[in-house]
Amino acid sequence: MKRQSRILATGFALALVLSTTALAQEPVKIGFVTELTGPWSFFGTSCVAGLKLAELQINPAGKRKIEFITIDNQTRPDQALAASRNLDVQSKVIALSGPTSSDTALAMNGYAEQNKVPFVVPVAAFPQLTKPGTRYTFRIEPDAAGWGYAIAQFVAKQKPNAKVAVIYSDFALMRAIVAGLKYQASTAGLKIEPEILFPQGTSDATVQAAQVRAANPDYVVVIGAGGFDSTLTNQLLDIGIRTDQIIHPFGITTQVKNWGKRSVGSYYGTFFDANLDKLTAEGKQFVDQFRAQNDRPPSYIENYCFVTAHIIREVIDKNPGAGDDREKFRDAVSALKTKETTSGIPITFDKNGARKEYMYFMQIQDVQAKDYKSKQVFYIEWDPEVIPVYDLIK
Amino acid sequence: MSDATIIILLSMITTGLMLGMIFSLVAVGVTIIYGSIWMPNAANGQFFLLAALLLWSASVSWGLHPALAALIIIGLSVPFSYALEILLIRRFYDVPNRNISYFVLSLGITQILAGIFSITYGIWSDQFQLPPLVGGLTMLGPFPMVNNRLAAMLIAALLLVALFTLLRYHRYGRALRAVFQNREAAALRGVDVRAVYRMSFMLGNAVVFAGGVLFACAYSFDFSIAWTMAITAFAIMIIGGPGSVLGALVIGMVFGLTQAAVSIFASPTIAAFSYLGAMLVILLFRPSGLFAR
Repeated sequence: MKRQSRILATGFALALVLSTTALAQEPVKIGFVTELTGPWSFFGTSCVAGLKLAELQINPAGKRKIEFITIDNQTRPDQALAASRNLDVQSKVIALSGPTSSDTALAMNGYAEQNKVPFVVPVAAFPQLTKPGTRYTFRIEPDAAGWGYAIAQFVAKQKPNAKVAVIYSDFALMRAIVAGLKYQASTAGLKIEPEILFPQGTSDATVQAAQVRAANPDYVVVIGAGGFDSTLTNQLLDIGIRTDQIIHPFGITTQVKNWGKRSVGSYYGTFFDANLDKLTAEGKQFVDQFRAQNDRPPSYIENYCFVTAHIIREVIDKNPGAGDDREKFRDAVSALKTKETTSGIPITFDKNGARKEYMYFMQIQDVQAKDYKSKQVFYIEWDPEVIPVYDLIK
Repeated sequence: MSDATIIILLSMITTGLMLGMIFSLVAVGVTIIYGSIWMPNAANGQFFLLAALLLWSASVSWGLHPALAALIIIGLSVPFSYALEILLIRRFYDVPNRNISYFVLSLGITQILAGIFSITYGIWSDQFQLPPLVGGLTMLGPFPMVNNRLAAMLIAALLLVALFTLLRYHRYGRALRAVFQNREAAALRGVDVRAVYRMSFMLGNAVVFAGGVLFACAYSFDFSIAWTMAITAFAIMIIGGPGSVLGALVIGMVFGLTQAAVSIFASPTIAAFSYLGAMLVILLFRPSGLFAR
């Protein structure tokens, strides 16, 4: 009896010491600088919605708390830079994260590299974020030129030697996608014709839709920005382009809903979708919880912000000291070999912090007011430098 | 002429007319306000966007038919403008060089509205699309014209005709033109200049709202349209002659058709900047605009 009491008392004391140690440890602070206002606010707030769901899971009792300090960058690179400096110097965060725009991410990337602050970018696709020599920046989203590569591979598989029309808005992201597509098209035997570039702020594409139709392509890659993307899609369909000729390089929930029922049969690329063939149990739970809270399914933006929080948890858990030392944190992320919690897709980074890349292609099956159904028709993985992305996009 | 050529030609004409009429409407709204109270309203793009967003809420979120919702929203522009006039605009009526004060004021309104949009609509979606006013297609030879755009074009044309008739033949229109030309003389002739100011502010904004709802019926849109429309409306007003309703009408149509044509023969990028080049050239030779009074 005495012995049992002693064991119990020892166990209790040990538990007390351990829990006191956990309590005594400062939380690991992560600076999350994202777009809560300004033109990109939809993406920033969507990202934070994904992050909040992850925060419910990543801080169980007994583990060192990870605290995300969320700051609005107003979709402005100068604000993103100022917030990064503040989080580094005042809040002494162990790492930065959060942007969903390449412009703000590039501003933070410059600060992170110069000041040796690890920077985990959830959603930004501009290739130069992980240009050769990058040491502290790690990008979760595949680079945009790679998306173009993936589209070319998808089209070549669908129809060898196909003729592809490309119609896109003049944004860095879209130009990068088209650069990758054109590079790989020449290797894959595809013909790009016509290629039509729209300036920012365009609202009508009827004339160009007619030009595309006159060229009689097998596929049309449609990369409009914001509301123009839906207008472009509608006007192509109005003029007689078939849905199964249309390929969008990326599909987020609001886009798919706006393309609407008339787009059933068209294709879009993505990195996560509620309709993927293989979602993990955590992935299904994430989709259900997100849908319940936001009245729509999540897309890859929300997923990447959710996954980023889990990556940081894993890095802290598996690497003693990574929560207190930026170099150790950086080395731990660099050496990370894990899988996306939601889809099981591998996550590893190359020497420049670019992720092993991949893309799903989905075909729309049905679109409802608040939801849509799509079918996974193609999946591809590639090395970040399978095409010379850093030469294509300066 | 081949079918492909006919399709491209008709698409150019219909696009030019559609864009031209929306440009004209907004520019007329801007020029009515500038011509009467000397207010270069930099917030016109945000008013245009406000109308489009409210229409989106009314038809997508609340389920109203877009036509009914459009009428309500254009109607709502009247109390909205009246409140602005009472709170802000009338306080500057007697300020010397008030166009500068008004410009700064309208920049402030622009910032406030942009901020409100970004923390409300901005977190709901990055793009906005309405159900069509009418469904189906009408074949113009080999060219499939969407009925929804056809309806928006017809409404825009009717609005422009009604507006022109009002300003030309109605008592208020004559009073407004008198104030445009010489407000002191108009006052001496018994015109209530302040009432004309107030009416002009409300009418000008109602026309900008009408442009916004018609645009939203014809196209998907996002926040960037506010900036595009603000710049375009100013450019049209300057080329047409500040305060010239006829100038805004004519130049708006010319802009729309030119953009559509240049986008075929050069590129959409050159088309988008062609009017700014034209504005610079015209300002060099006719600083007061083509239709200056």
